[in-house]
Amino acid sequence: MHVEDSPVASTFDEHRLHDTLMKMNAEVCDQCGKCPSACPVASRIDGFNPRQIIAKVCSGKEGELIRSGVIWTCTSCLKCKERCPEEISPYDIILALRRQSIREGQQHPAAYDDMVKAVIETGVITQPQPVRTRKRERKDRASLGLPPTQKPKDQTKYAEALQGLLKEA
Amino acid sequence: MKVAFYPGCTVQADQIGYEASVRNTMPKLGVELIDVEGASCCGYPPFSSVNEAAWYYSSARNMALAERMGLPILILCNGCHLSFTETKHFLANNPIIKAKIDEKLSIEGLTYVGDVELIHVFDLFHNKLGEEKIKQAVTKPLTGFKFGAHPGCHAIRPNKLIRPDDSENPIKLDELIQWLGAETMDYPGKIDCCGSSLAPASGKTVMEIAGDKLRMVKALGLDGLVTTCPFCFKVYDNRQRAIQSTVGASVEFPVFYYTQLLGLAMEVKPDFLGLDLNQSPVDSVLARIGGS
Repeated sequence: MHVEDSPVASTFDEHRLHDTLMKMNAEVCDQCGKCPSACPVASRIDGFNPRQIIAKVCSGKEGELIRSGVIWTCTSCLKCKERCPEEISPYDIILALRRQSIREGQQHPAAYDDMVKAVIETGVITQPQPVRTRKRERKDRASLGLPPTQKPKDQTKYAEALQGLLKEA
Repeated sequence: MKVAFYPGCTVQADQIGYEASVRNTMPKLGVELIDVEGASCCGYPPFSSVNEAAWYYSSARNMALAERMGLPILILCNGCHLSFTETKHFLANNPIIKAKIDEKLSIEGLTYVGDVELIHVFDLFHNKLGEEKIKQAVTKPLTGFKFGAHPGCHAIRPNKLIRPDDSENPIKLDELIQWLGAETMDYPGKIDCCGSSLAPASGKTVMEIAGDKLRMVKALGLDGLVTTCPFCFKVYDNRQRAIQSTVGASVEFPVFYYTQLLGLAMEVKPDFLGLDLNQSPVDSVLARIGGS
């Protein structure tokens, strides 16, 4: 298995990308096409095809994938992983490619940065917000008799741990 | 039965009707919910796509909180449940990464052993409470209704890890609905994705994917679509107007959380089940059930 040399120093995620590929033995993929036929995205978004993603990583072209936006259009439905007769998981490979893409500072949907920022600042991805009934009345947790939301007790310590991992990785 | 209760970010922030339906039915079934104080995001989706160590840390932290409570943890969201399951499996087999995560957990004085029991909503109703107990709780059977069950991807895949139901032929949610007195149909596309995880990259594609299922269940003449996953519900219920304008066809169709139907069958008042927060046209179903 050839995995393209990356300009970034060896990292946890980079090791995991190698590891993921090696363990799966993705080279045995015979391009049968069960993954794109199960995939809800392959028929809708040009350029996204789990079978081709496997072909590319097996021929050392994962750098191309890491630099393209296509790896961000997987729905994480896991059907490709489920249906593969060789137990290869395009899903796990796509997640590993995404993480490497982030490490390299490549373009990715801004929503991921927003979610990470929210978790570091508040412990959760979204804050409680008033919601509307079908009749357009406002309701919130209190009006439904719900207790306060769950969140870290000491956000500073929690953020310290999380940011430590984000920096080290 | 006491459980540590973990609703997850999405439920507690904006799927509060689901949370209300859980909190107002569980105690009547003898399930005491003890909130996981200090809980945080499970790591999915922000960190699974960004940083693997941060992802496992996020899930391990919440499991560590439940371990400290000495209780099994009830998880409402399919995404959180899979995230915890993957983390548990990964850390059990990777002591080096586990040590790294343990070190970070110690900042907050937490320890993660990895022996906490994870309870999915299907597990709770199907395996722990079981048919007899659910049927006994039903005082107003939903006779004459036929629903479509939507288990959601992360409740059934990947089969290699222990999932709450079978990856190719899931039947638990169907049975749970049947125990309320209603029928279900094993419709085409039942195990298909709602598309919601694609929202950061392509909202339009989410609408197309979700629109396919809504059109299918509508064409089959079912009375409603039923799920337990907040991500799936958000798309199928909350976004019908957007789906309609994307796919150019009517997709108006009643969508329910399972615990809302359970509550109705137990004659819990609709207000306590968050039913006024469903954005889909559920009124005709509520009127047919009537009198509650």
